[in-house]
Formats: sequence, C-alpha cells, structure tokens
Amino acid sequence: MAKEAEYAIEVEKLTKRYGDLLAVDNISFNVRKGEVFALLGPNGAGKTTTVEIIDTIRTPTSGKASILGMDVTKRKHEIVPRIGVLPQGFSSFDRITVRETIQYFSRLFCCRKTDVDGLIELVNLKDKAQEQYKNLSGGLMQRLGIAIALVNDPEVVFLDEPSTGLDPRARREVWKLLLGLKEKGKTVFLTTHYMEEAEFLADTVAIISKGKIIAMGSPEALIESNANYLVLTLKPVDEKAIEIVRKMGFEPVRDNHRDIKVRVEHMDDVQKILDTIKDAGASLLSLDVRKPNLEEVFLKLTGQALHKDTAGRVAE
Amino acid sequence: MNPRIIVANLVVSIKSFYRTKSTMFFMIAFPIILILVFGALFMKQDNMSFDLCVQDLDHTDSSAQLVKTLELDGKFNVIKIDPAMNATQYTKDNKLNLVLMIPKGYEGSFLRRTALHDTNASVTLTYLYDPSSIFVSMKMQILNSVFAGINQKMSGKPPFIWSAETSILAKKYRFIDFFVPGIIAMSVMTLSLFGTVNLNTELRQKGVIRKLSTTPITRTDWILSNILYQFILAVISTMAMLLVSYAVFRINLYINAWLLVFIVLDVFAFVGIGMILTRFVKEAESAAAAANAITFPMMFLSGSFFPLEMMPGFMQTVARILPLYYVNEGLRASMVFNDHMAALRYSAIIGVFAAVVFILGIIATNWEEGQ
Ligand SMILES: Nc1ncnc2c1ncn2[C@@H]1O[C@H](COP(=O)(O)OP(=O)(O)OP(=O)(O)O)[C@@H](O)[C@H]1O
Ligand SMILES: [Mg+2]
Repeated sequence: MAKEAEYAIEVEKLTKRYGDLLAVDNISFNVRKGEVFALLGPNGAGKTTTVEIIDTIRTPTSGKASILGMDVTKRKHEIVPRIGVLPQGFSSFDRITVRETIQYFSRLFCCRKTDVDGLIELVNLKDKAQEQYKNLSGGLMQRLGIAIALVNDPEVVFLDEPSTGLDPRARREVWKLLLGLKEKGKTVFLTTHYMEEAEFLADTVAIISKGKIIAMGSPEALIESNANYLVLTLKPVDEKAIEIVRKMGFEPVRDNHRDIKVRVEHMDDVQKILDTIKDAGASLLSLDVRKPNLEEVFLKLTGQALHKDTAGRVAE
Repeated sequence: MNPRIIVANLVVSIKSFYRTKSTMFFMIAFPIILILVFGALFMKQDNMSFDLCVQDLDHTDSSAQLVKTLELDGKFNVIKIDPAMNATQYTKDNKLNLVLMIPKGYEGSFLRRTALHDTNASVTLTYLYDPSSIFVSMKMQILNSVFAGINQKMSGKPPFIWSAETSILAKKYRFIDFFVPGIIAMSVMTLSLFGTVNLNTELRQKGVIRKLSTTPITRTDWILSNILYQFILAVISTMAMLLVSYAVFRINLYINAWLLVFIVLDVFAFVGIGMILTRFVKEAESAAAAANAITFPMMFLSGSFFPLEMMPGFMQTVARILPLYYVNEGLRASMVFNDHMAALRYSAIIGVFAAVVFILGIIATNWEEGQ
C-alpha cells in the first residue's frame, strides 16, 4: 500500500521480443504519482512497445509492469477503468461526429457520468462538435483522441506521441492541455521524439534507444550531467569562418547549410572565437549562445541524432 | 455481457451505415436486383418456347375438342403423346418439363355435365411435371387460366375441369418460390461475412481496435454487437426482398418464425466465420478476398441458385458439408413446403455449427498486436 501511494507505474526488467527482434530490452523504471513522465526516443526505439505493454494493449515477453500497484497482465479489468489511453496514430469511426464519438466511448465505461460538453470544451472542439470524424484535420483528430482518453476521468493517462504531425501552434495547445492534466493531479505518461516537448512538459525524462533506457532524470539534471558545455551557433557571411574556428582547436560542425555549431566550455571561449573572426576580417550575420538541450544529450549518449533535420543523420 | 455497451456499439454501427448511402443502397439493392434479373430471365424464356405435351387417354371426340381448344388458344404448341406410353417414363426420357394428361372417361363426364346438367360431374386433368424446371410453373399457370375460362363458359357452379399436379419428382414448387429463399440465405451470408470482415479489418488498421482494448468492452460484447447489427441489416434486407418478389412475381411462400430462426443462425454462423477470418488474415484487402473465396463456391455448391437435384451426385454430397446448404434447405422447408419437422432438423444442424463457430470466433478474436 505504501508503494502504491508513491508510484503510479512500476516497470521491472521489462522485455519484449518480436521474433528475433528485441524491441524492449530489460528496462526498469518507476513513475511517481502526479508527474509527467516522458519516454523520449527516435523512431523504432521501442516507445510504443513499452507504453502499450504498460497500458495493457500488448503483453510482455518477460518482466513485470504494474499500474497503481496492479500487475498489468493479471488485473487488466481493474486497471482499464482507471487509465486513459491515446494510442499512436489514433483514429476513430469515420462517419461519427465528435460529440457522438465522445459519448460512445464514455458509454463503454459503464456507470460513469461523463461531462461530454466539458470535455469538448477542454480540447477546444466546440465549433466542431457536430463534425464527422473524417472531416476533421489531423490536429483536431488528435485533440479528439485526447478527449476520448479522458472520458473516464482516469488517474493515469498514456499518450503515445500526442503532438506528432501537428503544426507548432497546435502542438503548443496540446502542451497546454497536458499541463492542465498535471494540474488536476493526473499522472501523465507520454512518448515523444520531440526533445522540446519532453523538456517543456516532463518532470522526468527517460531516453530510450534500441529498446534500452540509456538515461533518466529531470531534463535539467540530464543536461547538467551529460552536456556540461555551451552551444555557440554562428551564421557567417562567407566560408572563411569555419576554417578560422577549426584552426583555433574547436570542432565546428555545419548545421542547416550556413550555420556553424561549436561546442565550447566557457563564455570566455565565445569571446575568443568572436575576436578571432573579427581580426581575420570575416563578419557574422547572427550568433547565438545557449545551454545544450536534450537533443545534444541524446547525441552524446548514442552518437546519433534524434532528428535528421538537426544533424544530417537519420536516427535509428 | 453488458447490454449498455452493446447498444452503444449498435448506435454507432447503424449511424455509420445510415450515413454511408452508397453502401446502404447496394447492400439492400443487390439481392433484389438478382431476384428481378433471374426472375425476369426465366419468365422470358418461358414465353419464347412453350411446347405442351398432351397425352389423351380418353381418345374421344370431346377430348379431341379440348386439345383443339388448347391449340386454338395460341399460347401452346401442342404435341400429342401416344396414350400407350408410360407418361412418367416418357417425360423423364425426353426431358420434358410438363405433360398434360386427359383421363379416360373424360367424354362421359363431359356429356353428363353438358347434356344432363349434372353439376356433380367433373374431370381432373393431371399435370405431370418436373419441378426442377424453371419454366414449368409458368406453363401450369397459363394452363390453369385457360381451364378457368372453359369452366366459366360451362354453366353450373362447381368447375368442370379440375387439375391435379403430379410431380415426376417427389417435391413441387415454382422456380421463383424456390429461388427467393436461396437468395435470402445467400445474401444474409454475404452481408454478415463481409460486414464483419470489412468492419473489423478496417477498425484494426485504423487502430480503433487497439483503443477499444483499453476500455471495458469485452470481446463477447463486441461480437454480440456485430451479430445484432448484422441481424438488423439482414432483417431489413430480407423484408425488402420479400416485398419486391411478392409485388413482382406474386411469390407464394410461408412466412413464419422459422424465417427469423434461420436468419439468426445464418448471421451467427457467418459473423463467427468472419471473426475467425479477421484473426488470421491481417490486411483488409486479403480478408475481403478470403471472404470471397468462402462465399463464392458456397453460393454455387450449396444450391442457392439451382436445385441440388440438377447437380451430379458427388456435388450433392459436397453441398451437404456446406453450412449454407442447411440454411437454404431449412428456409425452403419452412417457406416453400411449410414442413416444420424438416425445418427443425436443418435448424439443429446449422444451430450446432453456428454455436461452434461463434465460440471459435470469440476465442480467435485477439486484440493484441504482434504476439
Ligand atoms: N507488432 C510488431 N511486430 C514486429 N515488430 C514490431 C511490432 N511492433 C513494433 N515492432 C518493431 O519493434 C521496434 C520498436 O517499435 P516501436 O513501435 O515500439 O517503436 P517506437 O519507438 O514507438 O517508434 P515510433 O517513433 O516510430 O513510433 C521496431 O523495430 C519495430 O519495427
Ligand atoms: Mg511509436
């Protein structure tokens, strides 16, 4: 009982095989009640497999997972009414309206009084309440999916890539929604391959790669312990700059065509680089210094980038 | 089983169906078109060649006069058969579908009626026919109308000419009466099987099934909802078929509780098969192909369109292992022959099959991916 009070989700030595493929490799972690937990990883890392084992859609090959103290393989019936799930790439009945869809799913959870209109309002679909599912845009479909995950007022909410495919504004809206869930005291388990999303929302981030959790902690702690440096981004006018920086002993890399990204230890180094460039007669269009983010943490831990658009390599 | 969940599913299914007008039209219209096309086709052929064989056992002036009347009517091309022949054997040997037999003593009765005004005098003409022929019912109807005309001309209330039908086979029915129950069985089968397979593979591909597995709905609830939905569609479709065939062909069928019983069993059996198929065939397209591979041979081999008597013996044996055969025969037993015992027998067989398939369907329904 004491355990139940602390953790919403406990995962112990969880493994899932698909034939020869080891999709989830002996992972263990706990999720505290009321926190937002993000599983961050590239395509094929095993995020969906992991979350779907925990939310009772799939069964593990070995290991154990429990929600609110209940084993997911043995007590599905008790677990299901207390969780809400948005599966990856969720879609619904084409010719059923937003309102009817929410009503339908709430009826599946017997005996609960669902505030359908409240949910519609929560996910901002009031104007589209009478629209059939097939006529919704991707972002609206996703928001409906989130509303459906909430019909039974669950204690633990699982969201598998809730903002994939959404434009930046729609993504922000989803984030706001998820923070709202946290405020209501719900435990939120989400998967994502957007590091900004994990950084912005999560209390705890677990980075998963090739079925293994390679790092876990709060975003700040992860960055602190794995990427204790600064990232200087320069947009030079001509090609000279990159050579100059290289000669100084740094390791500049190209980022998006013209930008040059340099890792430096201290602010002093930034000053030195700027001075050297200036002395050489080269000029800059813009410059930016920032602390590293989870992207760099991931890069450091795996030697691979999370996204191809940020480092020119496809993550596996 | 949770009735509330089943009703919720039903509401969604029916709304989806109603909002997809094209599907709705084709599902209901297709079997009706089949009935109309086949019905019209066979009627037309009937009109084209209408040979009528007559065996005059009386061999008198009066009977000759009757044959003449039939010839003069213009609808018949009368062919006379030697009275010495065994008519049944002759009919079979020459593949005739109808022989009209004028009995001995025809003239005697005729004279008693016309000259002595004995209203008790009457005669019974025998139609010797092959019930599996698709033209024969039409011929008998026309003959009946001719005789009705003759009866009317003769004074005196009780009709003079009666007709008795003697099948060269044991049973008797009109082609269209035989055809409609077969089409009902077939279309309930295809509706149920395709409806189940399409719905389930589509929802699985869209991830709806995965989502459902995280709600309290059980597989039994889900399958029962499917069955109830398909049953409602089947009843609507059957009513439409019966109404149209009655309006156009004046079908003469017994409609009783057996009809519902066989529709229910038909639905259970083929929704169950659909569930099993959905488990083993992953993609929607291949599932539809597999459903076709099941329904198509079944339609032809189980006697939906053609009387089994017309088929070679080994194919009749094949038919007996097909579930649709028992629905066909059961529906015909109840709708055409009003034979409750036979209907009971057939319903017991298809009932056992449906129960087994239904349970296998529940077992086969697996909502987990990538086991
Ligand atoms: N049902 C399945 N059968 C066989 N292999 C599977 C199955 N589901 C997933 N896999 C494989 O397992 C690995 C992990 O897949 P998973 O879907 O868990 O990754 P993911 O992190 O969710 O990826 P994405 O970001 O693309 O959603 C992949 O290599 C995938 O191909
Ligand atoms: Mg995934």
